[in-house]
Amino acid sequence: MTMRIISRFKGPGADTSSNTVPNKCKRIRTWLYKAVNSQLGIEADWVQKHIAQCPRCTRRLAAVGRVGLALAAVKAQPHKNDLLMRANTQAISVLKHSLRQAPKADELKKRLPQPRLLERWGKYGRSAANLAACAVILLLMKVGVFSSMGRFQSEGEKGVEQYYASRIGQDLANEVFRA
Amino acid sequence: MFGKGVSSELLADFALPVAAEQSQRWILSAMARHGQDLVTMLWRILGNDQDVCDAYQSTFLQLAHYQSRCKPEHVKAYIFRTASNAAITILRRRIAEKNRLSQTIGIPQSVDSPEKQLDSKLLVETLRCCMAQLPDHLRDVIMLRDLAELSYAQIGPMLGITPATARVYRCKAIQLLAVWMGKERD
Repeated sequence: MTMRIISRFKGPGADTSSNTVPNKCKRIRTWLYKAVNSQLGIEADWVQKHIAQCPRCTRRLAAVGRVGLALAAVKAQPHKNDLLMRANTQAISVLKHSLRQAPKADELKKRLPQPRLLERWGKYGRSAANLAACAVILLLMKVGVFSSMGRFQSEGEKGVEQYYASRIGQDLANEVFRA
Repeated sequence: MFGKGVSSELLADFALPVAAEQSQRWILSAMARHGQDLVTMLWRILGNDQDVCDAYQSTFLQLAHYQSRCKPEHVKAYIFRTASNAAITILRRRIAEKNRLSQTIGIPQSVDSPEKQLDSKLLVETLRCCMAQLPDHLRDVIMLRDLAELSYAQIGPMLGITPATARVYRCKAIQLLAVWMGKERD
């Protein structure tokens, strides 16, 4: 069955060059994972139906959920802000004299937890997105306005040229406008 | 001549520790680099400030005395595993003391009311107790994955297993914890 799925995925006349093979493998793997998950995963209808009817499975699922809840609760408990500082101070106090006296040690004794890169940049995320949206709008406006202006100008010139050609003749109009 | 010999010997004796001290500066660098993540993991395992500081101190002390004061090949792996082991030792000791005290005083350990079942503090304590009982290979994975929030790709090399094996171990650990936590509740 897997082979049938893969052959259907590849399709007739599919390129089998070495460069595309890893990409195809990756796509197939993702696709198979999704397919298997939709049929055999916890979200699958028949699994949900079974869980609803089977008290043993319901209990097991609830127990696993309870572990997840407990892990989430552990992660959610924050520690004091100076804990890193205190831990560093205590750890440095048992190191060698030369290490205790190093300038880096003093720095570590005063160190406070720093937000991670994602958290640090997270607060700017919204502003950056707004800025990018504004830039895109401006760019589109600029491109749109200038291209429209150019079109109007060339069409206007053509109109005037036609007017003069009808009044003073094509030759003179050519001399005036194409000189 | 003799004086010169002595002075050169003294110089050599003095130079060796200086070189060793210079080379041990990497301990401070490791502390600066991994300290924050380590404290977070220890806090999640232990949930107590003083215990966290003790486990942290023990980790860096062991690092400083690692194989005649040499730098381990994978400092991060060494630090995290040592910290995890130190934390579990402390946790086990704490649980044993608590059990001994509750037996002496006669505090009932069972949980009966629904309010208590939903108490997050109790839930976390139960999880910690159960985690301390897990086999080493499963416990290492769940601690590094769920409490230190490292990826399977990082955990694999740290424990000398493949990322896929780490994934399987985590799954087994969760199943065991679910069973044990269910028993604790009953």
